[in-house]
Amino acid sequence: MKRILFAAVAVATTALASLPANAQEMKAEVIHWWTSGGEAAAVKVFADQFTKAGGTWIDSAVAGAANARNAAITRTVSGNPPTAMQLNTGKQFDELVEGDLLADIDAIATEGNWKGVMPAAIIAAATRKGKMYAVPINIHGQNWLWYNKAVLASVGADEPKTWNDALAILDKLKAEGKVIPLAFSGQKNWEQNLFNAVMIGVGGAQMWTGILGKRDVALAQSAEFKAVAVTYKKLKDYVDAGAPGRNWNDATNMVIQGKAGMQIMGDWAKGEFVAAGKVPEKDYGCTVLSNGSGGYVMGGDVFVFPKAKDPATTKAQMTLARLMLTPETQIQFALRKGSIPVRNDVDTSALDACAQKGMRYVADKAQQMPSGDMLAPPALIGALQDAISQYWNTSMSADEFSAKVAAVLKSAE
Amino acid sequence: MSATALSSGRPRRISPARWGLYAFILITALYFLLPLYVMIVTSLKPMAEIRQGNLLALPASPSLAAWVKAWTSACTGLTCEGIRIGFFNSLRILVPSVVISILVGSLTGYALSLWRVRGANILFGAMMVVAFIPYQVFIYPLVRVFSFTGLGQSLATIVTIHTIFGLPTMTLLFRNYFTSLPVELFKAARIDGAGFYQIYARIMMPMATPMIVVAVILQTTGIWNDFILGLVFAGRDNLPMTVQLNNIVNSTQGERAYNVDMAATLLTALLPLVVYFGSGRWFVRGIAAGAVKG
Amino acid sequence: MRLSLTSRLSVISALLPALMVMLVVYIGATSWTAWMSLTNSRMLPNNNFVGFRQYELLLTNDRWLTSVHNVIIYGVLFVSLALLIGFLLAVAIDQRVRAEDTIRSIYLYPYAMSFVVTGLVWQWLLNPTLGIQHVLRSWGFAGATFDWIVRPETAIYCLVIAGVWQASGLVMAIMLAGLRGVDDEIWKAARVDGLPKWRVYISIVIPMMGASFATAAVLLSTAVVRLYDLSVSMTNGGPGIASEVPAKFVMDHLFERANIGLATAAATTMLITVIAVVAPYLYWRARKGEVR
Repeated sequence: MKRILFAAVAVATTALASLPANAQEMKAEVIHWWTSGGEAAAVKVFADQFTKAGGTWIDSAVAGAANARNAAITRTVSGNPPTAMQLNTGKQFDELVEGDLLADIDAIATEGNWKGVMPAAIIAAATRKGKMYAVPINIHGQNWLWYNKAVLASVGADEPKTWNDALAILDKLKAEGKVIPLAFSGQKNWEQNLFNAVMIGVGGAQMWTGILGKRDVALAQSAEFKAVAVTYKKLKDYVDAGAPGRNWNDATNMVIQGKAGMQIMGDWAKGEFVAAGKVPEKDYGCTVLSNGSGGYVMGGDVFVFPKAKDPATTKAQMTLARLMLTPETQIQFALRKGSIPVRNDVDTSALDACAQKGMRYVADKAQQMPSGDMLAPPALIGALQDAISQYWNTSMSADEFSAKVAAVLKSAE
Repeated sequence: MSATALSSGRPRRISPARWGLYAFILITALYFLLPLYVMIVTSLKPMAEIRQGNLLALPASPSLAAWVKAWTSACTGLTCEGIRIGFFNSLRILVPSVVISILVGSLTGYALSLWRVRGANILFGAMMVVAFIPYQVFIYPLVRVFSFTGLGQSLATIVTIHTIFGLPTMTLLFRNYFTSLPVELFKAARIDGAGFYQIYARIMMPMATPMIVVAVILQTTGIWNDFILGLVFAGRDNLPMTVQLNNIVNSTQGERAYNVDMAATLLTALLPLVVYFGSGRWFVRGIAAGAVKG
Repeated sequence: MRLSLTSRLSVISALLPALMVMLVVYIGATSWTAWMSLTNSRMLPNNNFVGFRQYELLLTNDRWLTSVHNVIIYGVLFVSLALLIGFLLAVAIDQRVRAEDTIRSIYLYPYAMSFVVTGLVWQWLLNPTLGIQHVLRSWGFAGATFDWIVRPETAIYCLVIAGVWQASGLVMAIMLAGLRGVDDEIWKAARVDGLPKWRVYISIVIPMMGASFATAAVLLSTAVVRLYDLSVSMTNGGPGIASEVPAKFVMDHLFERANIGLATAAATTMLITVIAVVAPYLYWRARKGEVR
C-alpha cells in the first residue's frame, strides 16, 4: 500500500510537461490513488461528468494513498500543483491551509447548501478557519462487522448488536471448532482498525473523542480504557495462526468461503463480496457493533484544490467541486466505490442493503462519529498504531498498554 | 579461447562426489524455483480457485486470461490498457541509462584505482558512504533542486538520475576489479607512452568483460525495477512499466486479482530474465577474456 | 609516479562527474536532511529549530530500537549466508556441470524480480495455514511446524530466507567471475602435487578472491542498510513491530506519518552510523594500499 513512498514527488513533476498552453481550455489534472477495478470505475464517474461539462480530465493515478498524497503535496509545495488532489477526510491538509496553499470553496458550498445536507462531522472536517477547503465526496464506514449468514445460522446465532453478543457468538463458533471464528488480517493498520472498532463499540462516544480528540491522558489510564484493551486482546483467541501479515481481502474471502464466521472491516470489503457473486442480507450480513452511544465511524475521501494563478484553472476547480456533489454524480460514484453518498438527500434505492443500512446510521446524529483521521494528525495516529500493534502481538499487559498510550498522548503536544 | 579450452585444466572425475554435486544443485535449484512456481500456477488460475487457498496445487483448468488482461486491459487508473503501455518507455530509459552509468562508473573506478590522485581515497570513501543511504531520502531535496534549476522531466533527466544513483556501486565494482589486475600491465602501457584514455579504452575495458557482465546485470535489474525515480523524474510521456505494475498491484481499497498481479509481475520481469538467460554466452566469453590476463 | 599535465587533466576530467555528483547531490541533500532533523517539521519542511528533541524522541521510541536490533541480526545472517551460498553455487557451477546456462539463470532469476510481488509470494509460502507447513501437513506430516513468520521472535529470520533467495545469485555471478579468473596453472600444479580439490579451494583459491568477496560483501551490506521493500511486502514490519527496519522507519515517518523531523533524525542517525563503520575500514584499506 505504502510501498514506494516517494511517488509523491512523482506526479509532481509529471504534470509540468503536459500543462496547457491554451489557458482558455478547462483542464483538470487530478491526483488520486484509485487505480484498480471498482476504484477506477468510480473515479471515471467524475471524469465523465467533467468532460460533459466541457473540461479535459488529466488522470494522474498513483497507487497507494501515501504515494499519491505525497506526490500531490510535494508538487504543491514546490509551486507546481495539480488542479485537484485526493486526501482522506481529516487533518491531512491542516498544514496546507496554514501555508495558504489551498483555494477555499466556500462559495460553491454555500451555493449548493452543503451544510444542509451533510453530516456535521464531515462539514467540520472539511472546514478550516470558518471556510470550507475540501469537497467531501463519500463516506466510508470503518467499523463494519461482516458475517457469513450460513455460518452464524449453523450455531443458531442471530446478527450481533453489541460486542458482548459478538463475543458470545465467537465463543460458540470456537466451541464448535469447524470454522475460524474471527477472520483477521494482521497488519498494523487493521490491528488499529479492529482496536478502534472495540474502542467505539465498548467505550462509546466519550471514550472515542476523549482519547483521539481531546488526547485525555487520564482517560487512557482509566479502568474503562483498560476494559477496552482487555476485550480487544481477548479477540486474539478467536483468530487463526495464519493471521499475521495477511491482506484484508484474504480475510474477507475466508468469510465469503465460510471458512471464518465474521470480520471487522471498512465497507470497501463489500467489493470482495460482490466480486465473489454474494448477495447482502442473503449470503452475508453487515452491522455495526455499538453500546448505544454513537457507533458509526465515518471516514472518507475529500478533494482539495491548490491555489492557482491561472483563472482557467480556478474555473476548472470550481466546476469540479460543483459537479462532484450533484446528487446524480454522488449516487453513481457510491455505487461503484462501495461507499455511501455524502449527501443525505439523494435517492438511495439503487444502493445495496448494506449501503442503505449505512445511510440510516449516518442519518442518525447520535451514531455519527468522526474517524481517527479527522480527530488526530497522522503522526499521532501512527504512534498509536505502533502501540496497539505491539500490544496485540506481544504478551504486553493491559496496564502496560494503557501506560504506553498515555505516554503517546502526552508526547503528542 | 573457448570456454572448453579454458577449463580443460580442471580436475574432472565421475564419482560419488559428482552425485553429491548434482544433489546440491538440485536442492538449491528447488529453493530458488519454488516462488516462481507459485507465481506461475497462480497466474494461470481463476480467482475462485485462488480463494480456495491451495497454493501449490496445479491449476484445474489453466487459463491465460490473467496474462492477457495484465498485458492488454488491466486498469491502472482511468486507462485500462494493461502494463504494455510502459514497456517501450522502460526500454528507452533502460538502454542509455545502463550504457552511460557503466561508462561513467568504470571510468571513475579506473581513475581511482590505477592513478594516484590526491584525495582519491576521500572521494571513494564518500561514495561508499553514499552507497549505503536509502536513496529515497534524497528524492525530496533533489526534486527541489531540479525545480529550482528549471530542468524539466525528460528522458535525459531520468538517465542522468540513474547514472547518479548507479555511480557509487559501479565505481566500487570496477575499482575493485581493476585493483585486482596485475599492475605490471598498466606500468608497461605507461612506459610505452599510452595516455589515460588510451589505457582505459584499449587495455582495461577489454579486460573487464566479466565485470561488465555483472554490472549489466546489476544495472538492468535496478533500473528496470525502479519505480520511484521514473515516476518523479521521467516525465509524463516516459513513465516506466513499473508505474503501471504498481498501480495494478497496490490498489488501496479495490478488490485484489492475484492472478493478474502475478502475470503482470512476470511480464514486467521478462526483460531482465531474457537479459540474464541471453547473457549466458557473453558470460562465458567475458570470463574467457578475463582469463587471458593470467 | 609523477603525472604529466595532460595525464593530470585527463584524470580530473574523468573524475569530474563523480565530483559534481558528490558536491551538488549528495552533500547538499545530506546537509538538508541533517538540518531538518533539528526542526519540528511535520508534513511540510519548516525551520523551527528544536535542538536535539527529535533525537531524544527517537532514542525512546520502541519501534526505532527494534528496527536497529533487527537490522543487525538481519545484516549478519544475510551477508554471511548469501556469501556462503553464493560461493558454493559458484563452485558447483564451476565443476563443468551440464546445462550450466540454465542452472546459472535459475540461481540468478530472483534478482530480476522486484519484491513488490515476490514478497507476497514468500509471505504465502511461509504462512502456516497456506504455505509450506500446510502442504506438509496435508501430505501426512501431521506434526510439521514452520510458522516463523507469524511469531514475533522469529519473523526477522523469514526476511533473511527471502533476502538470501534474492541475493545469492548475484553473489554467485561475482564469485564465478572471480573463480574463472583463477589461473589454470594453479589447478595443474595442484593436481601434480596431489592436493584434494577442496584443499585447493580453501588454501589457494579463496585467498586469491579477496576482491570478489569484498565487492560482494559491500554490495550485500548496502542492501542491508537499504532494506525496505522486503519488510514492507512480506511482513509489513509485523507481527507487531517485530520485523521493522530502519529504512522503513524513515520512509513511514517521512510520508505516511507526516513527521519529517523524526524521519530525518532517523536518517541522520543511520548516516552517522554508516560513516562510523565505513570510514575506519576505508582508512585501513588505504593504509594497506600504500604498502602495496
